[in-house]
Amino acid sequence: MKKEYLFEDKHEFVEKLKDLLKKGVPVDRMQIYLPFPVEEVEEILGRPVSKLNFITLLGAITGTITGFGFTAYTVLSRPLITGGKPLISIPAFVIIAFELTILFGSITSFLGFLSLSRLPDIRRILNPMEFDNRFAIVIDDGEDDGKRDED
Amino acid sequence: MNKAISKAIEFRYRIEKDVLAAMKKPHIQYWIFLFISVILFVTGMSLWYYQIKTGMGVSGKTHPVGWYMYITNFVFWVGIAHSGTLISAVLFLFRAGFRSSFNRSAEAMTVFAIMTAGLFPIIHLGRPWLFYWLLPYPNERLLWVNFKSPLIWDVFAVGTYFTVSLIFFYVGMIPDLAIARRYATGWKRRLYSFLSLGWQGTPDQWRHYNRLYMFLASFATPLVVSVHSVVSWDFAMSIIPGWHTTIFAPYFVAGAIFSGTAMVITLVVPMRKFFSLEKYITLDHFDSIAKILLLTSLIVSYSYIVEFSMAFYGGNIFEMEVFRYRAFGDFWIFFAIMIICNSIIPLFLFIRKLRRNIKFLFISSLFVNVGMWMERFVIIVTSLSRDFDPYAWGLPSFSTVAIGITLGSFGMFFMLFLIFVKVLPILSITELKEVHE
Repeated sequence: MKKEYLFEDKHEFVEKLKDLLKKGVPVDRMQIYLPFPVEEVEEILGRPVSKLNFITLLGAITGTITGFGFTAYTVLSRPLITGGKPLISIPAFVIIAFELTILFGSITSFLGFLSLSRLPDIRRILNPMEFDNRFAIVIDDGEDDGKRDED
Repeated sequence: MNKAISKAIEFRYRIEKDVLAAMKKPHIQYWIFLFISVILFVTGMSLWYYQIKTGMGVSGKTHPVGWYMYITNFVFWVGIAHSGTLISAVLFLFRAGFRSSFNRSAEAMTVFAIMTAGLFPIIHLGRPWLFYWLLPYPNERLLWVNFKSPLIWDVFAVGTYFTVSLIFFYVGMIPDLAIARRYATGWKRRLYSFLSLGWQGTPDQWRHYNRLYMFLASFATPLVVSVHSVVSWDFAMSIIPGWHTTIFAPYFVAGAIFSGTAMVITLVVPMRKFFSLEKYITLDHFDSIAKILLLTSLIVSYSYIVEFSMAFYGGNIFEMEVFRYRAFGDFWIFFAIMIICNSIIPLFLFIRKLRRNIKFLFISSLFVNVGMWMERFVIIVTSLSRDFDPYAWGLPSFSTVAIGITLGSFGMFFMLFLIFVKVLPILSITELKEVHE
């Protein structure tokens, strides 16, 4: 059996969501769709802090290490003294490391976002669910076949 | 839908309709603009082909003036890109409300401006087919790139900037593409469906999405400062008088944001008129963006004063001569245009009435665009044509090829922007909905 609630108003939707949770409907049975982000929902559902924080930090640190490691390693293995400066010139390498921190951080953050939010979702690309600007709560007991019943 | 549409939802529909209306079949005016842009672009590319075939002599570069119009264009276009990031990322972090009216066009502008800018170092090369020698990759040439060179920093900075801006532009668009998917039919529907990655707007998706957006904005903010600093170091790291100063990095960053803000105004004013977006891009928003223009204009003017003062108090005769030459020498007209456009015309924006006068704002933004191009030209050419030894002085020659390629870059930029307004949502729909609630 599948129940679908549609709301046009944000507050009505938030109230209903609270109500359903109070009644003891398990969160993992509920599918919620929002036309735009609503801050209250996160609080109500009590989700932990996004893992993206950690993933992004990891990406950024990898970038910094790569920036310094890559420059230092390659100038040592192919030494070419220019301008009488030391082979490992930290101030110059800071710029490369800085740019790579941002590059790696942004790319891992983006990839992390894709995997955490299960995108690209091929099933939904082929058969997207549309709620026409409404907030939707779908309570589902069985398998979801990607279609919904008209009410 | 059988139920009557309530008020809350009505607004959401109206935004979608108004914004996506821009994607409908274009007017004749659109085709005319697109045609002119394509012609300019194709002419520019053909002239580049001519230059490759004939040799670099046709570009007007001469012996002391080895950096000429192409490097001017490079710096100009990278600068244009900057304001896009400022508006989308910095104003996001500061929670400035007027941002959501401009951010999509500004982000698109950033991506297209970097694409245009990225071409110029390659056009500038005598053997453009060897441009990949700038990239550090395992090779059999027994050579390695010099990480101490600002030109390599440039490769990293501009490459990173392009990638991050593109991700930022795309990520901001994912929920809107899911809306566009609902309105489109046929192959277009499949395309938007594919581009929106199957976005459904579940709380988890929004949670990670908001986080990602915040991260990208926080990455882009220091990035934008670093990129134009690195571009300025292309000059400042040398010992050429007029270039070798520590003020260059902040001076270039301020100039970049100044010119970019002007370009946003240049693009958004006609866009707002053509697609009747007066409801979403209001006079208050223009008032705010005009204030940014005014502020950055003052910073740029201040930098001019500091630059000249440092030269004359510093007591270095070469430095003093270059600055005297810059203002009163062969290129005094360019210098005068630069001062009038960048330092004097924007002062009128102190008047509130003029800030809210769209026509005035549009015209002054055009002047600023011209003025900032002149600024880069003046900095590059005057310093190179007169350095230390009078025996080595010289002037660049006039070149229709270089002018044609410059116009071609404008053609490319406007062509890309015109295509953008027809295929992608021009305002951030979800953000406008969120702000309205």
